[in-house]
Formats: sequence, structure tokens, C-alpha cells
Amino acid sequence: MRRVAVPRLALAWLALVLIGALLAPSLAPQGPFQSAGSPLSPPGGSHLLGTDHLGRDLLARLLFGGRFSLGASAAASLLTVLVGGSLGMAAALLGGAFDAGFRWLASVLLAIPGLLLAMLLVAGLGPGLPAVVLAVGIGGVPGYARLTRSYALQLMQDGYVAAASSLGAGSGWIALRHLLPNSLPQLIPLATTHFAWALLGITTLTFVGLAGDPSIPEWGVLLNASRANLLDAPWGALWPGLAISLTVLSVHAWGRRLADLQGS
Amino acid sequence: MVPVPHRAQLAALVPAARRVLEGLVTAWAAITLTFLALRLSAGDPVASLLAQGATTPARAEALRHELGLDRPLVEQYTGYLAGLARGKLGNSLYTGQPVERVIASQFPATLQLGLASLTIAVLLGLLLGTVGAWSGNTLPGRVAPALSGLATSLPVATTGVLALLLFGLAVRSAPRGDPLVTFGRTALPAVVLGYAASGPFARAIQSGLEGSLRAPFVLAARARGVRRSLRLLWHALRPSLPPAVSLIALEAAFLFSGTVVTETVFSRPGLGRLLIRAILQGDFPIAQGIVGLAALFYVGSQVLADLMALGLDPRIRRAS
Repeated sequence: MRRVAVPRLALAWLALVLIGALLAPSLAPQGPFQSAGSPLSPPGGSHLLGTDHLGRDLLARLLFGGRFSLGASAAASLLTVLVGGSLGMAAALLGGAFDAGFRWLASVLLAIPGLLLAMLLVAGLGPGLPAVVLAVGIGGVPGYARLTRSYALQLMQDGYVAAASSLGAGSGWIALRHLLPNSLPQLIPLATTHFAWALLGITTLTFVGLAGDPSIPEWGVLLNASRANLLDAPWGALWPGLAISLTVLSVHAWGRRLADLQGS
Repeated sequence: MVPVPHRAQLAALVPAARRVLEGLVTAWAAITLTFLALRLSAGDPVASLLAQGATTPARAEALRHELGLDRPLVEQYTGYLAGLARGKLGNSLYTGQPVERVIASQFPATLQLGLASLTIAVLLGLLLGTVGAWSGNTLPGRVAPALSGLATSLPVATTGVLALLLFGLAVRSAPRGDPLVTFGRTALPAVVLGYAASGPFARAIQSGLEGSLRAPFVLAARARGVRRSLRLLWHALRPSLPPAVSLIALEAAFLFSGTVVTETVFSRPGLGRLLIRAILQGDFPIAQGIVGLAALFYVGSQVLADLMALGLDPRIRRAS
């Protein structure tokens, strides 16, 4: 029962968040930057989730925040999956010096914790949401590339790869026609859990202030802004905190379910 | 006759020496990468200083020269390494203070937080893991793994702010200067970070225990009439400890990035806050120094963990 119920709840939450983010302009009672109520008014009444210290509607900021947080995480994961996936696949296929160099570089990069690597890149690029996306995307590449490489190497043990290469197929053809489709069952759950990591990374970096602009309605920024009036207006911390946590947990639960489905 | 070390004794040192050498190479490469990553991604740091009004155009050229930015990259790199060998990390772009001194001033606060969190993580992991493996399908047996699962997936920023909120509400009516409240306030950051780091420990202990509780030597202990609790604590727990010990190295890295968030949540001074400030101001010598230090620390703890494993487990020694 639990095995199905939890992923279903998770999927429902993800659908809710996604719809909220996509339809934010028509769902939100007002603009996310517009101050339309008295500051720090509690949830209920005309402001369903209350207002922040500038009187901005928190429901509007949360809905628009989904666009920032989810969009940024999706962009960062896409970068990781594309760059890391092709690097890992190339290392497995080409072997030799390329593979040796790849393995060494990956082990060196993994010596720097991913989040710190991302912070270092933001230091170079200068604070801002695009820099945070790029940094989190690149920060995940070493780990993702290494996993892709090991999957691809496992698959290359299979007979059809030997058959294709003995028929004269080039490594590009083998990668696209054989390795990629056959590794998708493993790579998709991996990319799903990676999205959770990216969301965690993005909201962490924006929470500590690296988005630069404190007025954007991104979830990590909202959570940070709530600290100033934590005891007088706890709802300001509760909503973004719940949004981040539930989304991360749901993505994890769904990723596990996907992995189970592939396994059975 | 002078006692000559046995050949086998010398041979046992070879893998250890190789591991240390590997660690040194990795550390050097990591430091080079932090150098390159910053120099290649950063524009002109002096330009950003100018934009923020922190320097004047007249001073800018002199500052570029002082920082060595007018020299070729290779020369800057060798200069940086030479400085590093003498324990010098350059000067802050803002205050002009030596980076190593700025870092040293913030290090104790972060070390304190890190060690306290690590202690809490280990104890909590032992508790949750043992309860999870021991209690089976009872309520505590199901709650414990759920708690350790949440620990790894919940962001520290959220749990931190939530803990701060709950604590603040709980002590709202407490008298000012109550020693218990003061203690709670100092312990809270370590509890939050320690809980976040306890997940992997709990899982390692639980899976180790689940394996060894079924092992023949535990059955033998049962046959000898050893009490259930003693069997668990002495016979079954011991073999699951070494894997958990080697996890400490990985945890060290997690804790270092965790302190950045925790220090922000609780407005604590430390290396994490220093790093954030340096990034926001574009003070790259400080950012580079802190990330380089983190990499060194991480590589060092991994090497140490591997050496410990070599010392503890003769099978690994023979295999390598």
C-alpha cells in the first residue's frame, strides 16, 4: 500500500507545484513585486498565505517563486545531464588516454564538495541567478559523468555492442543507437534524483544570498527574507520552507519509484 | 646485530605511501583548479571594485600591478604556488589584510561548529541505526529509518529556520538570561547540522547490524547464553563500526558546506559567512583561500580514512 501511496502523493504535489508555476500569472491574486496589503498580515482574508514585510502577497510570491526555483533547477540539471552524460559516455567508448584523463579529472573535481565548487564558480562569475544556475549545473557534472561512464561500461559488456562493432559501427553510432537507449532506464531515475540535488543546491545558494537580488520571489530568497521577522510572522518562513522540502522529498520518492519500476 | 625490519613489514608500508602520494597530487590538482576556475571565470576584479566605488580610477592601475593581474597567467600561478609554500595566500582586495590571517580569525568558530555537529551526527546515527535494526517492525523501528531518511533529504536551510522558529516560540516566555535558554541557543546550530549529517551514519550502522545480527558468530553467542542486549552492543555492533568510521571522511566535506548554510541561518561568525561575503564583494583571494582549504581538508581526511582502513583491516592491506 505504502509503496504506491507515497509516490502518488508525491506526484500529486509535483503536479500542483508545476501547475502553480506555469499558471502563476492567472492564479496569483496579484503581481509578485506589487505591495498591496499591510506588512506582515497573517494568512487568511484577502491574502490567503499572508504578506511579507513589504506587504507583498505571499501566495503570489510563492507561485511565481516556483517559476524561478523549478526553472533554475531544471536548467541546471539539464546542463549537468547533457554535459556529464556525454562526457561519461565518451570516456567509456573512447577509453585509453581520454578515459584515464577523464577519471583523474573527475576524482580531482570530486575532491571539492559540489556545493563549494558551485560557490567558487559564483565567486568567479559574480552573484546572480544565472551564475547560480551555471554553477550548480557545472558543480554536478563530475559525479554525474562518473556514474554515466560506469553504466555505459556495464552495457558495453553486452553482446549487441560487440556485434555492432564487429559489423563496423563507429563509436558515435554505438553511443546513439545502442548505449543511449539502453542506458535510459538507469539514467532517467538518476536524472530525477539529480533534479532534487539541483533544487537543493539552487535554493541553498540563493538562501545564503548568492542570487544577488533580494527582491526576486525565488523560494530560497523568500526563506532567507523571512528570518528578519521570524517570530512575528512565522508563516513567511513556513511556506517557502514547506515548498522546498516537499518538492525535494517528492522528487526523491518519485525517483525511487521509477527505479523500482525499472527493476521489476 | 642491528635489527633489520622484516621485508613483509616494509612491504606493508608501500600501499600507505602510495595513498599519501596520491592524496598530495589530488590536493595540488584541486588547488590548481580553484585557481584556474576563478581566474578564467572572473572578469577583472579591479573593474568590479571600481563599479562598487571601492577604489578610484587613479588607484586601479596600481592595484592591478599590486595584485599581479598585469602579469601572464602562468606567472601569476607560479607566484601563487610560491606564496602558498610559504603559507601566504595573498591579500584581501577590500581590507588589504593577509588572507591567511583573516581565515585564521574565523577558523575556530567553524571548527567548533563542525566538531560539535560531527559528534552529534555520530551519536544520533548510532542511536537511529541501532533502533532501526533492533526494533524491527514496531513503531520506533519504523520511525527511526524515516527520521534518518528525512535527515539526508531535507535542506539544512529549511530545518535550520524551522528549528530557530520552534526554539524561539518555546522560549518566548522564558526569563531573560536563563542559562538553559542560552545553552539551547548555542547548541541549536550544531544540533541542526548534526541531524542533517546523521543520515548516512544511521544507514551504515543499520545495514551493518542487520547483516551481522544474522551472522553465525552472533548465533553462537546466543547459543552460549549471552544476553540479547550484550549480543547487540558487543558482538553485532563491532563489525559494523569500521564502515561507519570511514564515512566520517565523507561527512567532513558535507559538514564544511553545511557550515556555510548553518552560519547564515543562525547569523554565526565563521568561514562560511566569510566565504559568502567574499563572493558577494568579489574578494577572490579570500574565496580561493577558503575553497582551497576545504579541498585540502577533504583530501586529507579521505587519505586518513584510507590509512585507518589499511591499518584496521588486513584484508585490504593484502589486496592492494
